[in-house]
Amino acid sequence: MAAKKILVADDESHILNVVSLKLRNAGYEVVTASDGQEALELALSEHPDLLITDYHMPQMSGLELCQKLKQDPATAKIPTIMLTARGYQLDERDTEQSGVARMISKPFSPRHLLSTVNEVLMEAAV
Amino acid sequence: MSVQLNHRATAAGGAAIVPQVVLDNLATRFRPGGLFLVLLRPDGTVVYHDASAGLFFHRYVLPLLQYRDSTPSDLTQKLQSLTPTSTVTVWDCLPGVILAAFPCLDRRQLAGILVLAAKSTTFKLGEDVVHVCSRLGLDGIWLNQQAEQVPTYDEEAIQRQARLLLNMMRDQVRLTGLEQELDSLSGQLADSYEELSLIYQISSGMRITRRANDFFKQACLDVLEVMGVQGMGVALYGDSAQRQEPVLYGHLSLPPGTVHRLADELMPVLSLRKGPLLINDLAKDKAFHWLGEHARHLLAVPLQRQEQILGCLFALEKCAGDFDSQDSKLLNSIANESAIYLENAMLYDDVHGLMMGLLHSLTSAVDAKDAYTCGHSERVALLARQLTLEAAMPEAMAERAYMAGLLHDVGKIGVPEAVLQKTGRLTPEEFEQMKRHPEIGARILRDIKQISDVIPGVLSHHERYDGQGYPAGLAAENIPIMGRIICLADCFDAMTSNRTYRTALPLEVALTEIRRCSGTQFDPVLTEAFLKISVDKLRELLATRQEKVREMLEMQRSLKVA
Repeated sequence: MAAKKILVADDESHILNVVSLKLRNAGYEVVTASDGQEALELALSEHPDLLITDYHMPQMSGLELCQKLKQDPATAKIPTIMLTARGYQLDERDTEQSGVARMISKPFSPRHLLSTVNEVLMEAAV
Repeated sequence: MSVQLNHRATAAGGAAIVPQVVLDNLATRFRPGGLFLVLLRPDGTVVYHDASAGLFFHRYVLPLLQYRDSTPSDLTQKLQSLTPTSTVTVWDCLPGVILAAFPCLDRRQLAGILVLAAKSTTFKLGEDVVHVCSRLGLDGIWLNQQAEQVPTYDEEAIQRQARLLLNMMRDQVRLTGLEQELDSLSGQLADSYEELSLIYQISSGMRITRRANDFFKQACLDVLEVMGVQGMGVALYGDSAQRQEPVLYGHLSLPPGTVHRLADELMPVLSLRKGPLLINDLAKDKAFHWLGEHARHLLAVPLQRQEQILGCLFALEKCAGDFDSQDSKLLNSIANESAIYLENAMLYDDVHGLMMGLLHSLTSAVDAKDAYTCGHSERVALLARQLTLEAAMPEAMAERAYMAGLLHDVGKIGVPEAVLQKTGRLTPEEFEQMKRHPEIGARILRDIKQISDVIPGVLSHHERYDGQGYPAGLAAENIPIMGRIICLADCFDAMTSNRTYRTALPLEVALTEIRRCSGTQFDPVLTEAFLKISVDKLRELLATRQEKVREMLEMQRSLKVA
């Protein structure tokens, strides 16, 4: 079975590095984007199995990104894990309607992120 | 001129001296110019060659390089003359071939020789080439045809190309090095994130109302996972209420008594060090070798505030590798955070203990005035707490009910002893005096703001559900809940105790009486809850502190005699 492909979007490069290292070491293929627009384009061209996106990004927020993906049948089914600053509350209706499967607050535990990724992919496979 | 390789690019044992990707990349760049890239080990073995090069290189140059021992050439000698500091050197020791070479270094040692090979301007189907062809089993005419398609290089031209290669190599190696460094830094960053999130998680579990055991259990389980250890334990020393037996969580099964012994022996060591103790080979350790058969590694840090050791955290048996300074730093930060929490918990216990002690003294002062009601306050407190829990109210509420029960009769201090201890019926005037005790009690307690929520219970514990009680004649839900709770507990204890005017009713009779008065004297919902308390539980609560009560009666008797 081919490695699952995960798209990671965050404007902070150190987050991208940490997350992709952790995921690559666990056998995932990783594609990274440094803003919402790039992530949107990559989601269309790379067909990732999962999206991990930051909420706070320039130009397009993580939530807008999810909403845009949701509107396109080609990307509507991509499950999403959203990273937010600790203590930042998003409206649950918004996140639910935009296909956000899990919220993880920063600073996050990479180990916890990885197990969440496994979990979400497992759920998506069922 | 040489190229310093990244430390990860090993030279030993034929492993890649320069990463394969880098070599492939460079070979592709030089191939169109008719240049052949080869990497040799210092002993001359070919480690890498451009696999996509043309036939001239594959069939003629490569074999020449590989089998030079049997060919009349002095390449071996030339290779041996290279030193780590050699610059780009051009050799024309192979017939019809020109070579430019420079050393590759690993930790300043010669690790390999990078060679660019090309057809020399001197190439012709002369005697030496024909000789080589025959040795290699090549047709000279065929070789000549192949050679015609390959550009020629003179010394100066190939030297220029080799310098270019050297610079590109340096950039490539630097880049690969940076990528590896980025990965390693990201790895470290990931560890830091892990630790940060662990410390955050642990500190957010520091609620003062939580028992220290629960807090430390969770902290140990978290550390167990993040640090990757087999056993994680905690010991709290001293005689505070937070003290607990040392415990070890995890997958390590130790013989009984081992954890106690470890905790006991760690105490003096950590008191002396005032910092982490890290042992990576327990079997060889002077003090802790006895642990050696169960674990290899021990990392212990003190829980200390100011100069005092409150306890310690200890990790046993790291799953991968040894404990390092990072582990010890992490466990130390956790210990520092936990020590603050622990100290606060102890202070909280102290203050709480002091307050409860004072409240008990106050109650005893009331009890001392009236031997027959001795222990009554304590029993009402316990009954009220039980009732609150039975009515599915929160634990915190039950504690307040306990306090209200303890204090409900404090106002009797202001009622003359003659009235309190009168054996016969009270006159209306005496009864009026008696009825003032809830208000007196409320007034006495008014200034203790920490128990302001308990005072309504004291003030209204003689109100009745039907509004016929005192002092305010409140009815139903208008009576503060605390008052309704204490009223029930108070009456039940009064019925089941001996009084100056009658002997105690049997428990069953008292319960029937309670049921009968539901809705008139008592809150019907609370009555339901009260009747759910098992008879055994009630007996247990009523029997509590009998010992203390006897003591008190003794004391009163002796005081009276005196």
